[in-house]
Amino acid sequence: MIAKKTWREIRVMVLVYMLILELLAIPVILLWPDIYADLQRSTLLRNMGIDWLKRIGEGVGNRDSDVAFINWAAVMLFFRSTNLVGLAAAVLVGTGLFARERESQTFEFLLARPVSRGSILWQKFWPCALGVTVPIFLVNASAIFWSHCIDYDLPRWELFLASLHAAIYVLCFLAFTTWISVLSRVQAHVAFWVGGFTIVQIGIYLTQRIRQWSLFRLADFEWYGPIMTGNTPMWEMFDPIRGHGFTTYLLLATLLFYGLAWRALHRAEL
Amino acid sequence: MNTIAITGLQKAFGPRQVLRGIDLQVPRGELLGLVGPNGAGKSTLLRTLVGLVTRDAGEVAVLGRDPNDHALSIRRDSCYLPGETGVYQQMTGKAFLDFALGFYPRRQQGLYDRLLAGFELPLAQKVRSYSAGMKQKLALIASLVPDVDLYLLDEPDRALDASVRFFLRSVLLDLKAQGKTIVLSSHHLSEVETLADRLEFLLDGAFVAQERLAAARTRLRSHTRVRLAADVALPSGATVLAREPDGTLVLLTDRDPLLWLRDLPPDAVQSAEVGIARLEDLYQLLLDPTTNQRGGHS
Repeated sequence: MIAKKTWREIRVMVLVYMLILELLAIPVILLWPDIYADLQRSTLLRNMGIDWLKRIGEGVGNRDSDVAFINWAAVMLFFRSTNLVGLAAAVLVGTGLFARERESQTFEFLLARPVSRGSILWQKFWPCALGVTVPIFLVNASAIFWSHCIDYDLPRWELFLASLHAAIYVLCFLAFTTWISVLSRVQAHVAFWVGGFTIVQIGIYLTQRIRQWSLFRLADFEWYGPIMTGNTPMWEMFDPIRGHGFTTYLLLATLLFYGLAWRALHRAEL
Repeated sequence: MNTIAITGLQKAFGPRQVLRGIDLQVPRGELLGLVGPNGAGKSTLLRTLVGLVTRDAGEVAVLGRDPNDHALSIRRDSCYLPGETGVYQQMTGKAFLDFALGFYPRRQQGLYDRLLAGFELPLAQKVRSYSAGMKQKLALIASLVPDVDLYLLDEPDRALDASVRFFLRSVLLDLKAQGKTIVLSSHHLSEVETLADRLEFLLDGAFVAQERLAAARTRLRSHTRVRLAADVALPSGATVLAREPDGTLVLLTDRDPLLWLRDLPPDAVQSAEVGIARLEDLYQLLLDPTTNQRGGHS
């Protein structure tokens, strides 16, 4: 019941989100041959003084155009589109989950139904989780089709792994927003706290010596690039002891935020 | 067997003590009326019964179960109408009812049809286009139609006009006749009085003792509310207890109020009410520190 209602509330948002991801993906793929030619002529990115920008420049300017295209896809489909649009979608969808119930005075009505609070949280969360993650897989799958239009190819398994990592990253933000939404009485407060947190994270990420402490470091080009080019196998994504385990860290953070939301909802008084 | 059994219930929100040792027994099939001023603790008491608020002290059993441990099971066998009910604005009336009633395994179809016919709601329209009274009617259908043993209604007559309140009264009496237990809070003292088997007055987190309540109401019956013509001075034989903004005087007469009124000159009285116990008058009387005594009551 609650899941169905939640889906009805977010379905238009999910559709628009998917459309935006798709509209961002199509031109960067179809225009790749021209962009690659421009990159070959320019040495600007490769000579950048900032390390991470330089590495992006080297990746997308690789002499092997197939490798360069894969790096380009990693930057554009994941580092740009999913990281920004996916994050915005997670925040928009999650903001109203509980704060809107309080604002419209339906919170007490909902809690008074014969259903546990844990179940209410789960039935509100999973449609949103699907709503913000499934489009990532669908749009990135469509990128295979678009890349065939320009006679390039994207590695399917690696694309799936990168999509999986991106989906968990977006899920982490959804869980965080849900937690804040449970704690807040109005949606504006949720937007304020989550927005503030995100801006601080971006600020840290863009500051050279401390950027490793930013949450965005777990989902940037230096992570998506090696996944897409096959240099980071699946076990390395999930194994924090022998590999990087960044995906596992995101998954654990997601579970932590979900757990905090569950605890906050159980303790919530009217 | 009691549907509700409460002993020494206490609840505080921070430094504010909201419930102070409530004792209450509600037998099966009883219709109990809860009255009291805003902030007296009526809503907190009802929320405690369905496990939405956790008590600090005391024993509570609803349908034989403790709400702290068996809230879900209690909510399956009871229905609670919150006082400040919001309804989902983006849904149609029909979608809201399907959503709200979908949580309960059994519904009273006959009552559903009766309420729909009586309330005349445009169910195909979005709830956002409804008036406050229509939203309350929708919430009432959602709370009365589930086939459960206990109904807890926090101000069910909020925003309803007199004819709808009369209709609601007949519905509640029918539910009671079926053996359902009903606890309702209200600001309409006279209506609750005629509807309820028993009345409890909650004041500052504790029930007013029945003897004290009875004495206050007896005293109120001797009160006269009178509005005199503009050029008429107050005749002797009456003491002014209160003066309302519209000029109405609340009086205590030396002798039978009807006789006192009869002796006034013709055209002196624009309107008069004798012995009608208004809730606000009762509050005033019970809140009077010179007569205020609290006590639990079972």
